[in-house]
Amino acid sequence: MILTGEKIKEEVANNKIEISPFDQQRVTTNSCDLSLGRTIIRYTSPIIDPKSEPSYEEITIPEDGFVLKAGDFVLGHSNEKIGSDFYVPIIHGKSGTARMGLFVHITADLIDIGSHGVSTFQLYATLPVKLYPNMLIAQVSFWVPFGDIVLYQGKYQNSTGPRVSMVYKDFKYDIFKK
Amino acid sequence: MILTGSKILEEVKAGNIFIDPFLEEQINPNSYNYRLGSTLKVFTGFDGEKSLFQEIEIPEKGYVLEPGRMYLGHTKEIIGSSKYAMSIIGRSSMGRYGLFLQVSANLGHTTSCHKWTLELVAAHPIKLYSGMKIGQISFWCNQGSVKEYNGKYGFLNYPQESFTPSTINL
Repeated sequence: MILTGEKIKEEVANNKIEISPFDQQRVTTNSCDLSLGRTIIRYTSPIIDPKSEPSYEEITIPEDGFVLKAGDFVLGHSNEKIGSDFYVPIIHGKSGTARMGLFVHITADLIDIGSHGVSTFQLYATLPVKLYPNMLIAQVSFWVPFGDIVLYQGKYQNSTGPRVSMVYKDFKYDIFKK
Repeated sequence: MILTGSKILEEVKAGNIFIDPFLEEQINPNSYNYRLGSTLKVFTGFDGEKSLFQEIEIPEKGYVLEPGRMYLGHTKEIIGSSKYAMSIIGRSSMGRYGLFLQVSANLGHTTSCHKWTLELVAAHPIKLYSGMKIGQISFWCNQGSVKEYNGKYGFLNYPQESFTPSTINL
C-alpha cells in the first residue's frame, strides 16, 4: 500500500516520516516533491573500477544554472533530509523532469527503511538540460512494510550532500563468494 | 505491502520465497542483494530485424562496459516466489556509478523462478566482476488469487535476448 498525501502530512506531524525542511505545499496526492541542492559530483576516473575508490570533482551549480549535455551523468542531492523508521520510501523523478529526458535516479529507487539523510540523485541526461539550484526535480512516495522491521545501518546513513558509491568497501570486507 | 528483510528470511525458510544460493548476510532492511552471474551477452549489431549478441564469460580481471551500448547479464541466483510479486532493481551503490541493471521492466511475476536476465547500460565506463553484489530484489504482497505465470521468459536461466515478432509465436 502506498500512502496518500494526506497520510504523509499526518505521519510527518507524528514524526513517523522525516522530510526536513517540510513544506505542505509540496505534498501531492501520493508523494512529496524534492528540490535540487547546489552541489553536484562528477566522476573523473576514465573507467570506474568498483574495487577501488573513485576519483571525482565537486561542482557548485551557479544561480544561472548548469547545463548537462545529452549523455552526461552526475550525482546531485535533495535539499531535504528524508527517511522513515515506519515506511519504505521510493524516489521518482517528477514527470516534468522526465519529459525533459532527465533521469533522476539510475536503477535504485528503493530506500531502506531506517535510512535517513539527503537523497543522492543520479542525474543522467538523454537531452541537453539546464539544472537550477532549488528546482523541484524529484518526488518521494512512502510504502507500507510487511514483517518485523530491522532499521538500516549502512554506509550512506546521515548523508548531508551527494555521496559517491562506496561499493569498494564491499570488496574490502566481503571475500568474493563464487 | 513490501516485505521487510526479516519477513524475506522467514518466507525463504517457509519455502514461499526461493533464492539459491541464499546467504542471510545479503538481506537488506527491505530487499535482498543478488550477485552478477558469469555470462554476459554483448551487442554486436542489428541485422535489420533483431539485435545480435556475442556471449562472453566475464574474466577474472573484470570486463569493462562502454556507455551507449546495451549488454545482457543474469543473476547468479535462481530467484522466485509463488506467493509474492518481485521488483528487480540495482543497488544504490551501482546507481551511484551510473549503471542501469534493467531497462524499464523491473516487475518480476509471481510464480516465475529462474536466474533473471539483467539489461545493463552504463552511463560511465565501468568494470564488472563475476559474483559481485550488483542489485537488489524486493518482494511485494499480492491482492487477488494467483494464476500461474506462463510467459515466454519464465523458464530461462541465462541472459536471454528478446524474442522477435518472427519467433514469438513459435
